[in-house]
Amino acid sequence: METSDPAAIRRFFQRAEVTDIDVCRVLNSILRVKSQQRQEARASCCSIIKAKKMAEERREITLRRFDLSDLDDYMVWASDDRVTAFCRWDSYTDKEDLRRYMRETVLPHPWFRAVCLGGRPIGAVSVELGAGCDRCKGELGYALAAAHWGRGHATAAVKMAVRSVFREVEGLERVEALVDVDNKASQRVLEKAGFAREGVLRKSTVLKGRTRDLVMFSLISTDALVD
Amino acid sequence: MTWASDPRVTRFQRRGPCTSEEDARRYLADHVLPHPWYRAICVDGRPVGSINAKPGQGEERFKASIAYRLAYQHWGRGIATAALRAAVSSLLEEWPHLERLEAIAEVENPASQRVLEKAGFLREGLLRKYVMLHGKSRDVVMYSLLAAGPKLR
Repeated sequence: METSDPAAIRRFFQRAEVTDIDVCRVLNSILRVKSQQRQEARASCCSIIKAKKMAEERREITLRRFDLSDLDDYMVWASDDRVTAFCRWDSYTDKEDLRRYMRETVLPHPWFRAVCLGGRPIGAVSVELGAGCDRCKGELGYALAAAHWGRGHATAAVKMAVRSVFREVEGLERVEALVDVDNKASQRVLEKAGFAREGVLRKSTVLKGRTRDLVMFSLISTDALVD
Repeated sequence: MTWASDPRVTRFQRRGPCTSEEDARRYLADHVLPHPWYRAICVDGRPVGSINAKPGQGEERFKASIAYRLAYQHWGRGIATAALRAAVSSLLEEWPHLERLEAIAEVENPASQRVLEKAGFLREGLLRKYVMLHGKSRDVVMYSLLAAGPKLR
């Protein structure tokens, strides 16, 4: 990696699993920067590493962008029928199909994040942003590996995601989520995260060949998140 | 032109009022005529408004959203309700795969909400800041009518 852009450096270290020694080695040998910028870059990287280490120790949920190296971790939940039961897509059976999906959809997506526990992806959260008349709203989607269900991780991830997306996307006022009427667990996640239940939209989607009723939830930028 | 240039009619429409004949002509040619389902509402054979249905794409073909508008001097006489009922009948016949018809009415548009209710649509909920209209996000009420008939939840 050859760059003098502090933002690019930040992104690199956010994705990589590095130690403090690596940080110094990389900075000294690869970066061609003025000494003051190097100090800033190093300080920035060290604080990210520290925060990551603390999160790992406390087994906290963090969000970050995906990388193709996350393929195996992604496959864990993407191939699980329990996870995809209420998803519009079917479980992946071929890792190459998932790799293509990551490369073509996940990586270039305007808002798609890995849900990490102790730094490792255990799920995903995304927001589909609208355009034109719909630019004030975004649709939230998330999936979590079944082994990690029932511990509040999805709720934590959703709270973090909405905080970030309202901050990052200009003009966004509404984040909505549409949940199958039978998916009680997911409805509870949204309620715990402070979303308001607005109503049931009858026969508004097709799931595995059948039309289904969906519950509409929303969070407005001015709503307080339940903390 | 009569209703399309009237701000009282276009107040709850995404498009602002038509400003010129040229503007209206272009809209007719580019949007109305090639539209999947766009009909004039006529009184004594003369157009006094319009109603259209937009089907979903691909997998969502089983649902369609309806919108309508009526010249101001014909408001308050049940014309929109009659047009909506007629449109629903036609659509359910012409599109046998249709399962859901939906329409939104702004919270501040009780007249349109009544039209939908009188035509047999069910109020499903208030969706906050759901659409942008004339530069501002708006709260709307979502209504739907199922091809299979009313189902109480």
